[in-house]
Amino acid sequence: MAREKTYLEEVFPSPFMQLWGIFRKTPVAMAGFCCFIFLILLAIFAPILSPYSPVDSNLEMILLPPAWHPDGNVSYLLGTDELGRDMLSRLMYGTSLTFGLSFIVVFFSLVIGVVIGSLSALTKGIKSSFLNHFLDVVLSIPSLLLAIIIVAILGPGISNTVWAVAIVFIPQFIHITRYAVKEEFRKDYVLASRLDGASNFRILYYSVFPNIIERLMSQATLAQSAAILDIATLGFLGLGAQIPLPEWGAILANGLERFYIAPWTVYLPGLAILFAVVATNLVGEGIRHALKLRKEN
Amino acid sequence: MLTFTLRRFSLFIFTMLVLTLLSFSLSFLFPGDTVINHSGQIHATPTELVELNKVYKMDENIFSQYNAYLSHILQGDLGQSMASQSPISDEIIELLPATIELSLVALLIAMLIGIPLGFIAAIRHNKTSDNAILSFAMIGYSIPVFWLGLLAIHTFSINLGWLPSAGKISLLFEIDFVTGIQFIDILLSDSPYKWQAFSNASAHIILPACVIALAPATIFIRLSRAAMIEVLAAPYIRAARAKGLSFNQIIFRHAIRNALIKIIRHVGLQFANLVTIAMVTEVIFSWPGIGRWLIESIYQRDYTAIQSGLLVLSCFIFLVHILTDFIYAALNPLARGNNHGS
Repeated sequence: MAREKTYLEEVFPSPFMQLWGIFRKTPVAMAGFCCFIFLILLAIFAPILSPYSPVDSNLEMILLPPAWHPDGNVSYLLGTDELGRDMLSRLMYGTSLTFGLSFIVVFFSLVIGVVIGSLSALTKGIKSSFLNHFLDVVLSIPSLLLAIIIVAILGPGISNTVWAVAIVFIPQFIHITRYAVKEEFRKDYVLASRLDGASNFRILYYSVFPNIIERLMSQATLAQSAAILDIATLGFLGLGAQIPLPEWGAILANGLERFYIAPWTVYLPGLAILFAVVATNLVGEGIRHALKLRKEN
Repeated sequence: MLTFTLRRFSLFIFTMLVLTLLSFSLSFLFPGDTVINHSGQIHATPTELVELNKVYKMDENIFSQYNAYLSHILQGDLGQSMASQSPISDEIIELLPATIELSLVALLIAMLIGIPLGFIAAIRHNKTSDNAILSFAMIGYSIPVFWLGLLAIHTFSINLGWLPSAGKISLLFEIDFVTGIQFIDILLSDSPYKWQAFSNASAHIILPACVIALAPATIFIRLSRAAMIEVLAAPYIRAARAKGLSFNQIIFRHAIRNALIKIIRHVGLQFANLVTIAMVTEVIFSWPGIGRWLIESIYQRDYTAIQSGLLVLSCFIFLVHILTDFIYAALNPLARGNNHGS
């Protein structure tokens, strides 16, 4: 029998693959991860998948309850709102607004925060101390309050909301990157590559980043669940997405007046937000759990 | 303790400087004339405008402008509200106590529910009850607060009719404004219907406070669970067990005290979170607090009010922060070392 491998090579998975190996074995985290992927796909393909337009009204089908209700109509699966707009289509389009935008916002803040954070980790003395105190002050102001203030400066609207939330989330990424990079720089393997003559940026890129990426990802999931809630809250308060846009918080605020006669216009967007936030939190929880187990091994 | 106090004090001064600088720069960032944004006098005549420019030193450099602004704030003059043309400091003194009252009650509820649940979860670590409590915490942490508030009103006020859905107290009761904190004012008043007023005010506060308390309670569950697990793994617990102490004795005499100290440290941080949630909840429950006032002033584009509201709210949050730091340091001598605040 022919041996397929002459040399038995021992394979050491990279830290990231080790993490994925542990992550895969936690069923709850995987369920959350599947929901997360589903939401991302929905956010991208909502225009193709949704049965109706999210903004066109249909005055013959006003306030239709969901299909399982005796008065429901199966071609409008989740019912319609006060202008006859299909709730299912609105919620699907809302995925790309609330969930998709929160994903982009967090990615944007992550990149900027990591750049500033790793640069500031390399500085010492008064500049560093000033930045530290400044971050403490900014982090002590609640994110939603700061976002509301920025929206007040820029004026209401979905694009301004995105900017506001992105700016608000930058400081926490600066803080965690700075802390993590400083911690790694004290370790021996960094000293080893420094003795080899590597420059600071080389060490950052090849040695430090691969080791802190999971911590950043775990912070990013926390930030994203907060971002979904912030975007939806601003939409609900009428400071974010404006009237025809099917943003989940705005749909909810829109259904508020007819809560008693058409409760599904309030229940469904709330459930959608809850689903998205739970999925994001499950992924984050899974990453943190896997990180803990990897450390213990 | 002295160095600790000095460190906190310098941090406090620095923070106040940054916060006032922030609100000062907001006047430039908001649309409209800077001096009108500072003072809120939108109906000022040209002569008054000249006077205002002189008072706020608008023709001098930016440092003396900031200086003038700072001295106005230190004298308690936050300008006028653009919408109602009444001094903002008066409005804030009237509204801030309502928010403080609501957030304190919510914080109390959150701690009373969250901490024991977290301890139970830690003691039954990796068992069914632990998982059940953790799943509850996950869902409570993820529910959007405005949705929860609406569901609570729908269930408890409209369908069941148990609790009132809006306001601080029924309009039938006349309570004089003394401290602004409703419960204290009621107890101080000499109305013959004092106790009816008291129970009415309690019925009004239960629903909003519980809605606010849910998310912080779940965070307290996680914090206290983590703290308790850490304490139970500590050598002194093993030593206590080796001495033959019963399980209850170990938990109540040793574990709970040490775990509580770790949690107190986080109360300040959680408070900031809680105040934001309270702002949104105030809008839903029409609670006459500073959060609702702030959001309404955004609708009315009342820039002076937004600016001062931000300043006052963040100062308040930061003061609570420092206060919990002090309580923590007073209770735990290990925390007074140099490694904090550096």
